[in-house]
Amino acid sequence: MGGNGPVLEAVGLRKRFGDLEAVRGVGFTIDPGETYGLLGPNGAGKTTTISMVSGLLEKDAGEVTIAGLPVTTTALEPKRLVGLVPQEVAIYPDLTARENLRFFGRLYEMTGKALAQRIDEVLAVIGLSDRADDRAKDFSGGMKRRLNIGIGLLHRPALLILDEPTVGVDPQSRNAILESIEELSAEGMAVLYTTHYMEEAERLCDRVGIIDQGEIRAEGTRRQLVESIGEQDRLRIEASGPLREVSARLGELPGVTGTSAGDGVVEVLADDGGAILSPALALLAAAGVAVSSVTIEEPDLEAVFLHLTGKALRD
Amino acid sequence: MRAAWIIAMKDLALRIRDRSLFVLAIIAPLVLALVFDVVFGGTVGGEDAGLDLSFGVVDLDAGPLSDSFVSTLDSIAADGLATVTGFGSSAEAVAAVEAGEVAAAFMLPAGMSAGYLAGGGAEIEIVGDVDAPTTVGIATSIADGFASASRTGAMAAATALAGGAIGPGDMAEVAVEAAAAPPPVTLGNIDAVTRQLQPPTSFVAGLAIFFMFFVAGAGVTSMLEERSEGTLGRLLVAPIGRGSILAGKSITSIIIGVGSLAILVVASAYLMGAEWGPPLGVAGLVVSAVLAVVGLMSLVGGLARTPEHSANLQAIVGVTFAMLGGTFVPIAPGEGILATLQYLTPNGLFVRGLGDLAGAGVSAAVPTMLSLLAIAAVAGVFAVVVVARRLQR
Ligand SMILES: Nc1ncnc2c1ncn2[C@@H]1O[C@H](COP(=O)(O)OP(=O)(O)OP(=O)(O)O)[C@@H](O)[C@H]1O
Ligand SMILES: [Mg+2]
Repeated sequence: MGGNGPVLEAVGLRKRFGDLEAVRGVGFTIDPGETYGLLGPNGAGKTTTISMVSGLLEKDAGEVTIAGLPVTTTALEPKRLVGLVPQEVAIYPDLTARENLRFFGRLYEMTGKALAQRIDEVLAVIGLSDRADDRAKDFSGGMKRRLNIGIGLLHRPALLILDEPTVGVDPQSRNAILESIEELSAEGMAVLYTTHYMEEAERLCDRVGIIDQGEIRAEGTRRQLVESIGEQDRLRIEASGPLREVSARLGELPGVTGTSAGDGVVEVLADDGGAILSPALALLAAAGVAVSSVTIEEPDLEAVFLHLTGKALRD
Repeated sequence: MRAAWIIAMKDLALRIRDRSLFVLAIIAPLVLALVFDVVFGGTVGGEDAGLDLSFGVVDLDAGPLSDSFVSTLDSIAADGLATVTGFGSSAEAVAAVEAGEVAAAFMLPAGMSAGYLAGGGAEIEIVGDVDAPTTVGIATSIADGFASASRTGAMAAATALAGGAIGPGDMAEVAVEAAAAPPPVTLGNIDAVTRQLQPPTSFVAGLAIFFMFFVAGAGVTSMLEERSEGTLGRLLVAPIGRGSILAGKSITSIIIGVGSLAILVVASAYLMGAEWGPPLGVAGLVVSAVLAVVGLMSLVGGLARTPEHSANLQAIVGVTFAMLGGTFVPIAPGEGILATLQYLTPNGLFVRGLGDLAGAGVSAAVPTMLSLLAIAAVAGVFAVVVVARRLQR
């Protein structure tokens, strides 16, 4: 560790479940101290990808190395270097926070004083010091999530993998989680972070891979990605009515490069937001859609995603 | 192995905490023992109330050898140790045993003395009350003692003299002949009598193993629970071999299984006076039977997808093995393939092992222990293969 090569190198990962090829040739690298985001909607293949990266799932094809060590489901050396925070909370509800940490610490060959001390540190990081000896089943959802994260970083992994760690967490806890990840990263830990929240990816990640239908569609820093789609504006229209039909017809307007319809929201990506505004509103009025607000936003990762896939991140 | 222990200790801590350990390992066996006591208490415990040394004897021989045996019995009765009742026919004696009037009856067959004097063997048959194993055992040893005494030439010669068959001058010759002759009294079917547990104890033993099928599946079922709770994924990405996960779960099952069966054995012994046999042999049988059941249940659990599915499969297999093993309906030795199949189940083997133990001591039960361990090994190997495939996905 701390060497000059990347912490993680993944090449050509593939995984098929029956008829569905969930991951189709995914590859990326992460350097020490770098935070890499996999940004993609539900079912994009994020969890499947990191399951192969962490040695949980057998790969159909491809290679993963961690600090140069090839990852397989049975190789123990690379596993020591990885901390995984699964998407679903995975803790023992009948054990206390401290006991949960102690059990997993032992599996990672930590013992005695060093373990006890590290447990106290981690409890402080996840803000559970004063609830350390309460059973996990009595915790709130956010506290369980924080414990879930604590288990992953207990053994000071070289690579911390977090799978949508903030889903279902209130804004305050969420902020605390993001802050502690920023701190760990500042200490030199490499982080692989999956999310479908654009704001999280923008805030945390040095580089982002945009993943959809099992493929990485674009990769780079936020700036690189946004620049890659050129000067584009995103029109965000809150409205009610037959939004899906209308979104298809909006896509036929000149200068529009992508549209999506979600829950009470239509988004339009266009070369010039101002120019498209009045024809778009006319079309919506004709279709009987009641518009409650319209905003023109600067390009962001959401716009990049819309541009690349023709759909919104949150469907 | 270190990881397996860490996992097993964690599981046991969880089971202590959610009280399922107390229920499985302590409460359930105690309740079972109490139920057994209520159901069988009268028959099993009855013997302890006082030894019933009431013997019957049927002398169809009326020769010198049988006279000598009857007078031996009479001398025991004269000491006030036992009662002896004479019967005119075998049927009468059997009826008296069945009615509980006597605990055991000796049948001295017609021609016993003549056969003996002609240099052949003779048999004393014993008919005993199944609920009075100790009395039957004593009867057996009386007959046995008589047999070895009569094997010495002196007694043979004496009976011959008394019968007037030879003159005093030929005595030495007769004595020599008698010493060379086959043992005069062979104790028919003693093996079958003593090498079988008395029905209530064997039924309790069968039910105890049946109960094991539900207790010893706990480990593998908890692995499926961890799978649905997501913690199995955490174990799989930890730097531990996949074998340690299964090993840890098996250790948990074995500890719970042995603990639970041990408590059942001890509790039933105290509550209902069940006689399990020499502790060392019982311990060996308990451990090997638990290993066999854990192996089978791990295999069965490995075939299941969910904890519920696993529990259901384990229940089906538990009942099937109990039926094949003769726990619910005893299987007679004559019933061909069923009788053989019985000894391919931990249920049948455990009961047979206890019988061997009671009748002939620890060494007699060793082959049964080895059979149980063989079942454990074979099922264990298959379980490892099946569970390893389960962990792949
Ligand atoms: N064990 C499995 N068996 C069958 N199909 C699976 C399995 N795991 C995942 N899939 C399928 O593979 C695809 C990718 O799933 P994956 O969980 O990797 O997506 P994701 O990007 O993590 O989504 P989310 O944001 O909802 O967590 C989905 O269509 C999913 O249904
Ligand atoms: Mg996922």
